[in-house]
Amino acid sequence: MKPSRRLWADRLRFDMAAALAVCALLALVPLVVRGPYALGIVVVSIYFAIVALAWNLLAGYAGQFSLAPAAFAMIGGYTTALLGHYAHVPLALGIPAAVVATALLGWVLGKLVLNLSGPYLSLTTLAFAEIARVVIGNSHEFTRGDQGMHVATLTQSRVGYYYIFLGVLVAVLLLLYALLRGRLGRFMMAVRDDPVGASSRGIDVVRVKSIAFWVSCAICGLAGSLYGTFSQLVSPELGLLQQTGLVLSMVVIGGMSSLTGALAGALLVYMGSEWMRAFGEVQTIVFALLVILFARYLPGGLWGLVAARQRKGAP
Amino acid sequence: MLALDLLANGLIYGCFYALMAVGLAMIFGVLKVVNFAHGEFFMIGAYTYVLVSLKLGVSPWLALPGAAFAGALLGWLVERLLMRPLYASYASWGFMKDEYAVVVTFGLSLLLINLVDKIVGPYSFRGPPLVDIGRFAVGPVLLTGQKAIAAAVAVALMVALALFIKRSVWGLQIQAVAQNRLGASLAGIDATRTTSLIFAVSGMLAALSGALLAPLVNPSPDIGAFPAVKSYVIVVLGGMGSIWGAMIAALILGVSEAFFSVYVSYDYRDAFGLVILVAVLLLRPQGLLGEKGREV
Repeated sequence: MKPSRRLWADRLRFDMAAALAVCALLALVPLVVRGPYALGIVVVSIYFAIVALAWNLLAGYAGQFSLAPAAFAMIGGYTTALLGHYAHVPLALGIPAAVVATALLGWVLGKLVLNLSGPYLSLTTLAFAEIARVVIGNSHEFTRGDQGMHVATLTQSRVGYYYIFLGVLVAVLLLLYALLRGRLGRFMMAVRDDPVGASSRGIDVVRVKSIAFWVSCAICGLAGSLYGTFSQLVSPELGLLQQTGLVLSMVVIGGMSSLTGALAGALLVYMGSEWMRAFGEVQTIVFALLVILFARYLPGGLWGLVAARQRKGAP
Repeated sequence: MLALDLLANGLIYGCFYALMAVGLAMIFGVLKVVNFAHGEFFMIGAYTYVLVSLKLGVSPWLALPGAAFAGALLGWLVERLLMRPLYASYASWGFMKDEYAVVVTFGLSLLLINLVDKIVGPYSFRGPPLVDIGRFAVGPVLLTGQKAIAAAVAVALMVALALFIKRSVWGLQIQAVAQNRLGASLAGIDATRTTSLIFAVSGMLAALSGALLAPLVNPSPDIGAFPAVKSYVIVVLGGMGSIWGAMIAALILGVSEAFFSVYVSYDYRDAFGLVILVAVLLLRPQGLLGEKGREV
């Protein structure tokens, strides 16, 4: 029992250290990058990193392959926007409200799909995501439909926003680390690997799954809410299935079931795609191809390569 | 009288949906995975039909088999290149088979949409109709020539498929592999080849559905999304993996959508089917027909 426990704790610590190193590098970016446009790109890539980390908790660690992360980001964004528009709720309350709303919805969705797995789970979460998008996109009187809604902003300063996003990213990383290092994180992985076996050992599978769901969805909601205040606009496009596809590809390329994998994958894919814009809009083609190749030949993702090397080098 | 018109049009759309959905059901029946790139088979079919008939100036009736061929080829390639790890014994992904399928088919869908967007362009095309008959009325039912002909072709295809599955040797092999892969291979059926065949047939049907609808829906690269979502609903409603269930569920969905969009809400018509999907999965996951519909 003991050695394998150490192994996992060691691997997770190494993973977390690498993720924090990436964050430290990110903290230096505003010193080098001055242009507001370029800085904005990094902010958006941090937004995707937060969503990717949240989805990775649910899919990579708890094994619940939800196809709704983008929808929850959209719902978070709309919660803040609607509260601000109709009730003039300040952002200091509007953003936490988005977290609470998405956590509740995530909890409900988790309860609904409790007994579903594999393709049934994917289809239900996909249907949920599409229903949310269709309803928001077509409620013209209430949400202004496809035009989107204006949202107040936290600060006009790009650099300020940059550090807000970075701070939230680090906070999310710390939260996930604490969660995964503890008992609950191990339970999640046990549920992922063998739900029947896990419950036979006394793990409350229902509880573990629903916690994974609401925590993951709440983080997505927070990211979406912040993104809305950053771009000062939320629209149903935030919840497009293609956005979920993007999050999926980030995690698969970076490495499933790894903090650094999801983080680095999101940064690489988003910034890489901005960089590739210069060569004519080929970025999505390249990344879609990469996802297929990674899934087929390198399921551990980029982080899988690093981790394998580190394990070999260890005494 | 409006009701009759709705019924007829709903049934016609149901036929197109069925063409889409049976392929998805066949794939699910054999591999127990959902092909999230199924809508892109539809899109490729629609584009092949439009481009072959417009750019090469071929008669639309010849472009139809062209689209079928493109879809079959694509389906075969997808199975050959991407689906093998699902049943051959590959070590990686191991217990995460379902997840592998979601990731690759999602990635494939993104890839195909953006490839077509890049190569052909993002604008939508208007497909040439199969016949030059405008709007006409049969009693209270308003039809266009294209709709009537396309529906007739769709019905003919469904009948052909049913005969193929029930009567031909290949169809029997498909049934056998769907029931029990190992048992089928013990009986001397090449399960791998049969799986390739299923993907080719499934791709062909989806592509034909796209080609038949091309003059009605004006294909653009992301056109595959709506028929794909419809076929998820149908496959769930009909009992995942059941071909006959999918055919019946397609007609039910076509008709009930037509009525819903007129009598309840036009804006939320796309959410209607999805609500059915969630409700069926939660309340009756075996589908409408239940275990009886689980043939094939």
